[in-house]
Amino acid sequence: MSTERTAGGSNYEYVIARVRSRRAALFDDDDYRKLIRMGPGEIARFMEESEYESEMNALGARHSGVDLIEYALNRNVAKHFDDLLQWANGQLYDYVARYLRKFDVWNVKTIIRGLYAGTNPSDVETDLIRAGEFDDAFLDQLLNAGSIEELVELLEPTRFGDPLAEAYAVYEDEGVLVPLENALDRAFYEDLLTGLSGEQSRAMELYVEFLSAEVDFRNLRNAFRLARSGADLEPSEYYIEGGKLFDADEIRQLARNRDQLVEFVRSSKYGDDLEAGLDTLEAADSLIEFERALDAALLEYSGRLSNRYPLSICPVLAYVLAKEREVDNIRAIARGREGGLSTDEIENELVIL
Amino acid sequence: MIDTFTAVLTALGPVLQEGGAQTIEQAPAIPPAAAAALAVGLAAFGAGFAERGIGAAAVGAIAEDDDMFGRGLILTVLPETLVILALVVVFVV
Repeated sequence: MSTERTAGGSNYEYVIARVRSRRAALFDDDDYRKLIRMGPGEIARFMEESEYESEMNALGARHSGVDLIEYALNRNVAKHFDDLLQWANGQLYDYVARYLRKFDVWNVKTIIRGLYAGTNPSDVETDLIRAGEFDDAFLDQLLNAGSIEELVELLEPTRFGDPLAEAYAVYEDEGVLVPLENALDRAFYEDLLTGLSGEQSRAMELYVEFLSAEVDFRNLRNAFRLARSGADLEPSEYYIEGGKLFDADEIRQLARNRDQLVEFVRSSKYGDDLEAGLDTLEAADSLIEFERALDAALLEYSGRLSNRYPLSICPVLAYVLAKEREVDNIRAIARGREGGLSTDEIENELVIL
Repeated sequence: MIDTFTAVLTALGPVLQEGGAQTIEQAPAIPPAAAAALAVGLAAFGAGFAERGIGAAAVGAIAEDDDMFGRGLILTVLPETLVILALVVVFVV
């Protein structure tokens, strides 16, 4: 898989018809309500009768319980997003592939964490989501790297090479993974919005609008976390370029003071979407709920964009987001049930529209 | 593509009119039967263009759910009505 442009124009009609159909097949509120009351075994059975049937059957012999659910979810996500790339042509393919590099980041992070913790490569392998730009052979090569240094060298020719090499020096000094993971995230998000072909079109505008919303939300989350922890970190180090909400200077000032930050967001264009989340943040001082609200707001925003511009990249990206959300939700339910959380607590963890 | 069509037609228009005004006794540049044929052809072209998108979406929907076959087929051939209406011109001329 690569981001080479395929010949021909974009086939929005075909891809969007399929994507909409798949989006409609995602679990709805009722399904979640049922799932919350089930134990891990029942959840597995429920999934067997749904969309996840083939993955559950393929993995059922080797794994069981919550692990089975988790691996089936990963595989299913990889299958669906691979499908997206298979269908898409032309410019549309380029947009989708750019976004799905997210999974390259995820995979590299997983492998780094595995190496850091000294986990067996075959255990790490089951946690990979093979949906990104790296092909299977390259991922296997990465998996078999003996140390983080070797991994960084292997990644040298990829787009993550330079930022990782820089971060590796910091990692060697401090011995924590944060700089490596930040470097990966930033490389991904900054690549998303730069180097687009200079073409002026409605599709391009929408793509940029959609992704800058996501970058904004990611920045917001970081800013709130910094403001809350009161840590003496340089906020602009965690700032991702490409958002429209604020620039590096603004975030440096705002991250010092939470009330100012809340006020700033309230008066921004996302103010309406985030109103409820901001209220709970002020009342309960709980970041968790605010982050759920951010996720929900992004999902809603993507849904609105995809209804307003049906023949564009938006429905595809909205589907990708919704699918990821579903997988996160199911995982939260399964893990929550396993850990003996109450239904209320699990419900708080879910992002449902 | 549509821009090119309008450009061709607007360029053609004055030429045809001039030809008609100067030599009224002569036959028109495009005889009625040929004009009717052109009309049907252009209508068919429009129908085909419309069906391109609908067909792609319909095949996508059918690939996800076989039950969509009937509905997809109907929606795909709906623009054919354009050609049928254009055929009326042939009988009017």
